[in-house]
Amino acid sequence: MSSTVSGPTFSGPIFSRKAFRLLAIAGLFVVALAVAATVGLLRQPRQYRVDPPVSAALEGLRLMPNGIAGSPPEVYFALGQPYEETAYDLNQGKRLYSWFGCASCHGDGEGGAGPSFLDGWWLYGPSMVSIAASIRDGRPHGMPAFRHKMTIDEIWQLAGYVKAIGAYSAKLTAPSRSDDRQTRPAENRAPAAILFDQGSAPVRRPKQGPSP
Amino acid sequence: MTTERRSSAATDVDLDDAELDRQLDRTWAGRTSFWGAIAAVDHKVIARRYIVTAFVFLILGGMLALAMRIQLAQPEARFINADRYNQIFTMHGSNMMFLFAVPVMEAMAVYLVPLMVGTRNIAFPRLNAFSYWVFLAGGILLWISFALDTAPDVGWFAYVPLSGPEYGSGKRADVWAQMITFTELSALAVAVEIVVTVLKQRAPGMSLDRIPLLVWSMLVMAFVVIMAMPAIMFESSTLIMDRLVGTQFYNPAEGGDVLLWQHLFWFFGHPEVYIIFLPAVGMVSTILPTFVQRPIFGYLPVVMALIATGVLAFGLWVHHMFVIGLPRLAESFFTASSMAIAIPAGVQIFCWLATLWAGRPIFKTPLLFVIGFIITFVIGGLTGVMVASVPFDAQVHDTYFVVAHFHYVLIGGAVFPLIAGIYYWFPKMTGRMMSERLGQWSFWLIFVGFNLTFFPMHILGLQGMPRRIYTYQPEMPWGGLNLFISLSAVILFSGFLVFFIDVARSWSAGRPAGQNPWNASTLEWAMNSPPPPYNFRRIPVVDARDPLWCGSDELPVASGLRTDRRELLISSVVEALPEARESSPRDSVWPFWAAIATSIMLIWSIFSPWAIVWGSIPIAITLIGWFWPKGIAEDES
Repeated sequence: MSSTVSGPTFSGPIFSRKAFRLLAIAGLFVVALAVAATVGLLRQPRQYRVDPPVSAALEGLRLMPNGIAGSPPEVYFALGQPYEETAYDLNQGKRLYSWFGCASCHGDGEGGAGPSFLDGWWLYGPSMVSIAASIRDGRPHGMPAFRHKMTIDEIWQLAGYVKAIGAYSAKLTAPSRSDDRQTRPAENRAPAAILFDQGSAPVRRPKQGPSP
Repeated sequence: MTTERRSSAATDVDLDDAELDRQLDRTWAGRTSFWGAIAAVDHKVIARRYIVTAFVFLILGGMLALAMRIQLAQPEARFINADRYNQIFTMHGSNMMFLFAVPVMEAMAVYLVPLMVGTRNIAFPRLNAFSYWVFLAGGILLWISFALDTAPDVGWFAYVPLSGPEYGSGKRADVWAQMITFTELSALAVAVEIVVTVLKQRAPGMSLDRIPLLVWSMLVMAFVVIMAMPAIMFESSTLIMDRLVGTQFYNPAEGGDVLLWQHLFWFFGHPEVYIIFLPAVGMVSTILPTFVQRPIFGYLPVVMALIATGVLAFGLWVHHMFVIGLPRLAESFFTASSMAIAIPAGVQIFCWLATLWAGRPIFKTPLLFVIGFIITFVIGGLTGVMVASVPFDAQVHDTYFVVAHFHYVLIGGAVFPLIAGIYYWFPKMTGRMMSERLGQWSFWLIFVGFNLTFFPMHILGLQGMPRRIYTYQPEMPWGGLNLFISLSAVILFSGFLVFFIDVARSWSAGRPAGQNPWNASTLEWAMNSPPPPYNFRRIPVVDARDPLWCGSDELPVASGLRTDRRELLISSVVEALPEARESSPRDSVWPFWAAIATSIMLIWSIFSPWAIVWGSIPIAITLIGWFWPKGIAEDES
């Protein structure tokens, strides 16, 4: 393509074939970015503060009369169940777990004065709505209510994290190890499942206080 | 050298120019098909791709800067939310450092070094192709993740514990870490090629004291890359291990060390600045003599300054860490060493000034950008000496003062020379001149716009405005200056717009340039523009520092290289005495497949450690394909 023409030539088209090819490649890149951006917009954005109406709606736990199980508010599904799924909410839950001193009774999930989250034994059932209700309203035999200490958004985040501790199959979005002493595998390695894999030894039932 | 061992081997002895060109072209030219383009290993083709890609990333990164300026133009603006803003400033920094500045400087080296030292292709041309594809994949990874709303949001230096497993939720920091792995892999590959090309492939007679200054600067830069980049590759790998498989490198509770991150990062990060800056001063030292039409003043001091900068670069990283509470003695030492770097920088500046003084300057666009560089860089250097002092640094750390400082040294110290270099070498790369009128416009717009944008940031910093905030309250005294900065940024952007319009227009419709439009002195101007695939019809023999300014129109040449296979001349390290003929690899699609396999492994490893195991199988297959003898003439030793 070396041009040996003497003097300026402007006879060719403004865009040569080479320029056209360049434009095509750039266009391809832009299209890929646009597709990715569309997917990105469909994903749940990371929100540092929940909209007040959503926050109000999240309060509407519909529990069974005995306070065990029930169904979450409609808005929970409208949001796409973020508190069980997204890495950010699970991670926030983990920080809340430490900030609100959950470890003082529940340890790193292995239990203590309070029940364990690792043994597959959920006193009020494993559903999100039960766990959220336990945190928000408290339970008999020592579980305090956090209604006035945390926002409902934070309660849901914490509930999602507590559920992730006891999950038998690790979620990709579950938190990794913490910057602390390690007492059990991190949440993204399904610590509860490892407890079960220990073979024929019977599941050790920790002391959990009287049943409700 | 001219003895023929076999009758079939055709050499360039006793051929007339036209026939020689025809034979060389048949041996060296790549195919023009799609797969031919994928398989290309010509250093000029790869370098052009590198440069174009890097400038695309510059445009994208510039648009992020514009978005941030819109957000900051007024207090409590709602254009961008906090989370997005975190991603944007991280993207802007990472993109500009890892996807624009370092690759574009290395790409200039890949293009120019083989031409300037008088050889036919870069050393390890397939590795070169591989490095481009890996770099491209890393850039696409980062930008696609940004579009997917999973871009890193931990700052371009991604300090732990913020980027660690506890606080860096999601896959954002992993994307940053693997983008680093991609780009450093490609940077290391290019650095190795440059070192070997400069040390072993120089034209006969080009002893070390006759190497063009650009080549010297690229050689020092390549050594700095080789020593600095492994630190950050270690870092990105250990970060991803901490995050994914729960290693404890950065967990103090289990014997890890948070400070280790900062040391490792800045042990790389400060030399990184010189990795960008050294090629830029090499360009300045090459462009300046051409536009004053006399050799550089003080070749030896400039070379010494380049090497001293490269060595000192490794002795001042701690000045980024003055506020984290290191022992007083360490702080004093690094203050002294940080100020010491001003000495080699000053030596070069005085050499340039003397060159300007002694010559007759021709104020074309490249020289304007060079002078703009000198002014801007001196200002940035002065604030650099200021922040080298611990008490002052403690005041302005993480404020806009630092933002102003490093934009002065990075844009002033690297982007100005780079644009000068683009104006200067564009005729060689494309065969067409860029517009002088648009060039003058772009220079004045960029120079004025740059200073109006970034100088007020010094004042903002002294007024206490922190870096990386997505908005500020109306009560703060920052509103007026921020609005002024945002408006000035528009001038700066319009300057770059004029530059890009000029590039696009000149590429297809510029005035034909001819061999040596600037009457320059270095070897790359001794061939057609753009250069033929084999660069030199015959390998030149160099007997002076400025081979094209020696009075005669003819260069002495060496002959005896084969024309029926890709062959180049190996010479000794110091004196550049011819030592051997060596084959240079042919085009191959395997580097492309190897890069694809590497990309799959690296991206997969964000999600599962098993990617390292299973992902290595395709890589092994592609490497076997890459190195498998093909039974061609180049396979003979």
